Parts: sequence; structure tokens; C-alpha cells
Amino acid sequence: MRKLVYQMDLISGEINDHDFFLLSGGSDYRAYEVLRKMKSKDTAINKILLFDFYERVRDIDKSDPYFEYQTIGFNNILPIKCSIRDPNSCLQDLIPLEAEFLSTTAPKIALDISCFTKPYFFYLLKLFKERFKIDSISVFYTEPQFYLFPGGISSAYRSSTGPLTILEIPGFSGYESRGDRRVLVILLGFDGDLSKEINEDISPSETLVINGFPSYSPKFKDISLVANEKLTSDRDIKVKFSRANNPFEVFNILEGIKNENGKSFINIAPLGTKPMALGACLFALNYPDVRVVYPLPEMYEKVTTNSCWNSWRYSFL
Amino acid sequence: MKNSYRNPFSGINAVTLDDQAILDYWCSPFVYRLFSEIKETDIYEDPSNIVFMGGRSTGKTMFLRYWSFPVQLKLACQNKANNKAKRIIDYFKEKKGLGFYIRIDGPVLRSFDGFGIDTKKWNSIFTHYFELIVGRNYIEAIKKLYDLENLKRDEIEDQFIPEVRQIINEPQIQSLEALLSEFDNRIKEVDRFRGNIPFFKNDFIPSKGGFASQCLSFGIPEIAKKTISELKESINFILLIDEYENYLEPQQRVINTLLRFSKNEIRFRIGMRLEGFRTFNMISEDDFIKEGREYRKVIFEEVLIKDEGYYHFLKEVSKKRLESVSIFKENGKIDIAEFLSKTENLEEEALELVSKNPGKHFDHFKKFLTASDIDAITYKENPLLELLNILWVLRGVKVDEVKNAMEDYLNGNKTGKNEKKYHMDYVDKYKLSLMFLLCSIYRKHKKYYSFNTFSFLSSGIVGNFIELCRRSFQYAEFENKDLLIKEGKISNEQQTKAASDFSAAELQQINRIEKFGGIIYKFINNIGNIFRDFHKDKGIRYPETNQFSADIDNLPDQKFKDAMKAAIRWSVIQKKPNLQQSSPGKYLEDIYTINRIFSPSFQISYRTRGGHSVKLTASDIIKLMSEENVSSKDYLKQMNDESGKKFIQKKLFV
Repeated sequence: MRKLVYQMDLISGEINDHDFFLLSGGSDYRAYEVLRKMKSKDTAINKILLFDFYERVRDIDKSDPYFEYQTIGFNNILPIKCSIRDPNSCLQDLIPLEAEFLSTTAPKIALDISCFTKPYFFYLLKLFKERFKIDSISVFYTEPQFYLFPGGISSAYRSSTGPLTILEIPGFSGYESRGDRRVLVILLGFDGDLSKEINEDISPSETLVINGFPSYSPKFKDISLVANEKLTSDRDIKVKFSRANNPFEVFNILEGIKNENGKSFINIAPLGTKPMALGACLFALNYPDVRVVYPLPEMYEKVTTNSCWNSWRYSFL
Repeated sequence: MKNSYRNPFSGINAVTLDDQAILDYWCSPFVYRLFSEIKETDIYEDPSNIVFMGGRSTGKTMFLRYWSFPVQLKLACQNKANNKAKRIIDYFKEKKGLGFYIRIDGPVLRSFDGFGIDTKKWNSIFTHYFELIVGRNYIEAIKKLYDLENLKRDEIEDQFIPEVRQIINEPQIQSLEALLSEFDNRIKEVDRFRGNIPFFKNDFIPSKGGFASQCLSFGIPEIAKKTISELKESINFILLIDEYENYLEPQQRVINTLLRFSKNEIRFRIGMRLEGFRTFNMISEDDFIKEGREYRKVIFEEVLIKDEGYYHFLKEVSKKRLESVSIFKENGKIDIAEFLSKTENLEEEALELVSKNPGKHFDHFKKFLTASDIDAITYKENPLLELLNILWVLRGVKVDEVKNAMEDYLNGNKTGKNEKKYHMDYVDKYKLSLMFLLCSIYRKHKKYYSFNTFSFLSSGIVGNFIELCRRSFQYAEFENKDLLIKEGKISNEQQTKAASDFSAAELQQINRIEKFGGIIYKFINNIGNIFRDFHKDKGIRYPETNQFSADIDNLPDQKFKDAMKAAIRWSVIQKKPNLQQSSPGKYLEDIYTINRIFSPSFQISYRTRGGHSVKLTASDIIKLMSEENVSSKDYLKQMNDESGKKFIQKKLFV
């Protein structure tokens, strides 16, 4: 008998009720797209946890789109004060809710990753699994219609400014055994500086890249390859492809890489789309000896995308 | 053979090369006398600790890994195979040392921080971890020698292992393999703690006790030398610690303390970026390490690469890479200077530049020259000589004297009245400056090509030279692969594109420097543009001025002082080795250049002529770091006042 282990749905009709809905505050239009859809479909949510990053609110005024969540019509939004640079900073506000998370046998929890940084939602998914012992979560994601290229598509895309520090995502240190070969898998993004920095810092014996294809838009797959030319032109770098909006495909590719590489210390740098990063996160949760690294910039750009495309729900059963 | 081409300069990272590849690509800097402060035997024998400082890609990792046990073991095996030594251990006894390469990557080091744990606790966890990493390294090497039957069985099993298991509190261990597994488990214990601490606020309690500083890092060598007869005399344990700049300040205190208390047979060789010390303090707050006392310093990059040794070294490095591509090796195309051409041909470059508008440089100065002047000093075969002639006229030399001097030079008539000065001005002093001025007049960019130019552009950083070559080969392959492979040639245009693109990329990278990237970028842009304006000076009063003097150590504002130090650490600016006169007749001070790789971006010379430097006061530095588009007028005036040069046509100059 065939068993369904994951599900990927385009959101168009009804959205299931949830006990908890976690999302990130943001000025991008898609930050609250799923919340708007839930409102329009009269979805019942017991509690909405909005991760309120002080770095995102400090220089904006009340008219900024960041605060639009207040006008959507939900009255049960609880802000979680935290720092975007330190995922661990949200723990102090989440621990008091632990009893609520555990109060039902199978709480229905949803997480909208559209405007979370990748380290953040990696941390949250592991927190729910390790500490709250919840590993069935619905993950929502809204695709951007446009990415912002201030200098035009042929110029370099920058999602951040200032210096970069390459860090292990908290909780994803992995284990490197003596004699292991280091393998680095980079999920390609548009910012070519990031992959180069990571490749130098990690210094793997082998680097593989996964490019999002098909991507949200046909040109994106080329932009990511061109932007990362310095890395991908190297004779030893292998390029693989995975659908940009399908985390499960990424999971399967990573599993294939792990099987092919035997006694290796796998490092993953999820620089590509968030669904691809979600696939990497699920993989790393399944294989705790894998390390996930990420470049932490001095400052993130406030808005990097425009308008919305499709919204998806990914469920792990 | 059809598909045997690959870019010989791509994809080689010294951290990940296997041991054989380190040997294959190794070029000894000692053969080319690149270091005056150190000789080869010092690596294993010098009783001082040594710190190797250099920017990114200067070759520090390659250097440290070469001396490590696994790589030297390969050499020892080769020696034995060639009957040069009876036993492998004899090779190491002759070398007088065993090297242990330690690299802990940045993300791991940074994970020993935060999550509500105080610095003191993290320090003791890190110390425990570091001791384990070093200890494991030692055991691995001893096991290797034991497996090759170079160490006595009874000494290892009856003496060494029992003593080590006592200090690690594990009485059951009977073999070196079991010892290694035990170290692995304890390191994994730390890794598990690092993975869990973001979610659970537990204390770190090692299952079999924690290790304090020196416990294993000094303890195991002591036991080895006491119990293993082959290691008893004359073999030093050399810890080769790489990327020290990545260690957090508290972690550097731990290692600094080890430096202070290192024993006779245990020495440190540390690789780091320039200004890579975050602290000189030790664990004890009131004590610190000092250069000359706890360590001595060797600099990997030199600003003035006058020593021919560096050029030969680059040629050798390139030769090894070209030889690794079979199609080049088979065709004997293994000399990089043949691919790039040895030096620039400025005369040819100038002719090409003026070809579409041959008289434009005369038009530029027509206010100061009559038609007959122009007739007299024209020499169509060499626009650079024509420009020199114009310069001489502007400086007050009579036209017929200029003409005669030129003719004497061209005819080789050394007895001519002004021939000697003309020769010196053209060949030794102004040729490159004339080329820059010509480019400025014709509004075209200067080309950057040739082995000589690339050597200068690399600024003493081998990795920069390799990257310039990589890009050149890449563009050449894309545009005309046949020419590249069959004739072994890369055009000047392809090389110039490589140099310009790399220069622009490096300039952009400045923004990524931790903390100060933005202000360092502003500084470089401003000073680079000032130097460019100097190069465009019509009277060539400041030939190839591309250096500045400054007293960085005494900058009153700590933020800008730290920024300048960061710029040095990242090799964005480079300090000349010795104090120098900022200008002829001036007192000695520190002179700096911007990294030569930025020369194509600012269209300035890649050499250092000596002569004048731009003097920067503290307020100048702050201004250049804070403001956009700083005007060069004040600095031109400063140089004007200093040089005191007068010209016939004063109104020529702003």
C-alpha cells in the first residue's frame, strides 16, 4: 500500500483551522499574504505568533507595510520580540508557551516562512522537534513575483549589505568524524559573494551546487548561475537541479548525495529559495550529523521582493 | 587529448589539497630567498614561536601544511623508496621535528559563544575542545609511525599508552586505535553540546572529566619523549595553527597563554592575517605576550617586490600548474611569461592608442607650442617620445635642444649634450607616466598586461597572481581556445579585461570587511581618485605617485584607527617594510600604498617609484573615510608646495 509522507498544495480554496500560526513581521507585501488568505476564508486560528524583529522596526514609521498585520482583522496576534541576528533570542518568549503547545496531543501548528530569514525558520523547526517534540507542522510559503535588482538584472543582486560572518545555524552543528571528507552543498542564490565566501571558509574537498530549475521565472535559473560564476566555472564543481518551489525534491537530492559520498561530513549552505532551504532543513533534521552554515550579514536589505505569486502549503505526514 | 584542456589556474585551495598534491604544487620560498627573517631549518628547530602574517591568498596555508606530519611522511616514504634513508623515523630525526597542522574553521570557532553562557564557561569548554583536537593529532601521528614499525612495540604498549590513559582517565584502553576512538567520542561530546545548547540550557559536564590548558597539548609530547626512545632526543613537536585571525578574542587568550608557557620541545608556528591578533592578552588579565619575547614575526607579503626572487617564485608556481595540464606539458608550453609576454610594450601600445587621431596630444598643448615647434619635435614612430619632447619644452628647454637630444638618443649618440638626461628621463623616469598621460589625453584606459605587470599587481600575494592568470586563461579559452592551446598566447586585451574585472571585484569585496568595510571602501575610492588625478597631471609633476604617509598608530579617533588597522589586516593598504622619507628631504615615517590590484580600477601605476608621497594627517584620514568624492585639489596643492616646481606656462596648471 502506498503511504503518503508529504504533501505540497497550492493554496486556492479553504485553509484548515490551526491552533498556532507563526509568521515573521516584514515590509515585503508577501509577509502577510497567507494571513490575508486565511482571513478571507474564515480560517480559525487560536493564536497567531508574530515574530517582531527589532532590526526591522527600528527605522520605520507607522505607515510602513510592516504594520499591515494590524489591519487584517485578527485580534489574537501575540508579538514575539526578538532579534533577527540571533534566533535564540525568541526562546524567552516561546518557553512560556510550551505548555500550550503540549496541551493537546496533536496540536495543529503552521509556520509561514515567507519573510523569516533561513536561520530563523531552521531554528524554529528544530525547536519544535527537539524541545516541544512536535514534528508535524504545516509550512506556508508565498512566492515573490519580482526580485529587486537596483542596478538591473545584469548587475549583482544583494540581499544584504556590509561584512559577512559565516556561522553554523544554531542547532545544526553536525558532527565531523576523523578522516571524513568534507563535502559542501550550496543551494544557489542570486548573491554570488555569499557562495564564494562560504566555499572559502568551509574549504571542502568537494563542492556541489543545486540550482533551482524550474525556477519561479525562467530567467532566475540563469541569474543564479551567472552570479555564482566564480564558483560554478571551477572544473570540479558539479551542478544539480531541483525545482525551486519543491523542498522534497531537494531532500531527495541531498539524500542521494549523502549516499554517494559515504564517509563524509556534509555541509549545506541554503542560499537559494526558501522552499529549497526548507528541504535542506528537513534533511538536516533527519540526519543530525549534517552541518548547516549560513552567512550572517551586518544588515539585511529591508525589501528585496515585490508583489506575490503563488502561496503553497507543505505538510509532513 | 581532445578534452585534455582545463584552466591550469583554477580550483586549487591549499586547505583541501591532499598531501601528495601539496608536494606536487610546492615551491619552496627559501630557494628564492623570499624571507630574510627565517631559514628553512628554523621551522623545526628555532626555539622561538613564530607567527607568519600575510593577507588572504599569500600562501600561508600551503606553507604550514607542507611542514605537517602527513605531508612530510610522504616525503619520508619517497626518501626511503629512493634509498636515501633506512627508516622513516630517521627522516624526522634529521629534520628534528614533527609538525601538527591545526585548522578549526570559522563557523566552529564562532559557535563557542552566546546562548546565555558566560565567557569564562565558554573558555573552559573551548580549552577542553582544543586540547582534544591537538591530542588527537599527536596520537594519529604516533600511530602512523607505529604502524610503519618505526617505534618499539613495548614502549608504546607498556609505557606510552598506560601513561596517556592515565591523564585521560580511561583505564581500559589498550591500543592506539582505541585511544583515537576515545578522543573522537570526547570531541563528539562537545559537538553534541554545541548542537543542543540553542534549545536546552544545560551545563557542559564532560563524561570523563575536562582538560585544562596544556594537559594534552604539552602533556602528550612530554610522555612521548619520556617513553618513546626514537622521540627522546632532538625531535621537537611543532604546532602549526592556521587562520588564527578567526579565533575569538577569548580563544586567542587561551592560545596566547600557551605561547607564553611553551616548553623547549613544543613550539608554535601560527598563520594569520596581518594584524590578526585580536588581543595580546593572556587568560590572566594582567599579563600579555610580546613580539620578540613570546614570538617573532615573519611577513608573507612585501610591498616593494624588487627582489627578483619573487618573480622567479611566481614563474615556478605557474610552471607547476601549467605542467599539470597535459596538453601544455606535452607541447612544452610551461612558461607563463610566454603566455602573457614578459613585459609591456609601451611603444606599441602608444602607437595603437594614437592610430585613429595621431596628432591629438599636440592639439592638447597647442596653446603653448607653435607649428614649427611641433614640426621639430614630431616623431611619428613613437608618440611617447613626442610627449616627452612636449614636456621638455614646457619645462623651458629650447625646441632645437629637445630635437637634438631626441635624435642623439635615437642614434645612440651618448656624447650628445642632453642625451644622458633624455635617456634617463625616457627609459628610467617617465615612460610609464607618459603612457598614462597619453591615455588620459586620448580618453582611453591604460592596458594592464604581461608577466611583469601581473607580478606587480599581485602585490606580493601569490593568490592574486594566480587569480589574474585564471581569469586571463578563462577569457582566452572563451574567445579563442585554439590560439591559447596551439600558440600558447593570451592577448593584451584579454589580460587587461582579466585585470580590470579582478580589480573591480576586489574593490567591491572591501564592503564585506567586518565592521569597517563601508568606511574603508570610501577611503580607497577617495585616495585612489586622488592618485588618478596625480597621474593625469599635464606636466607629470608627480610621476606615478601612488603612496601616502600617515601615522596610523597615533590616530586620535579609535574607530578610524581600528578601520585603518582592518584595512592593513585585509591587505587593502600595505605598509612598506621600513620607515621612509615621505618626500626627498623629509623626515622618516610610515609609508603605505593601496593594494596594487586596485590600479586598473583607478588607472594608476602598479609600481612604486619612490619620490613623493601624499601626506595624510589625522583629519585627512577621517575626511577620506567619511566623505564621498573628496576633491584632489588640496592634495595637489600640497604636493605643489612641496615640490616647488615652476613652469614657464603657469596657467597650464590649475
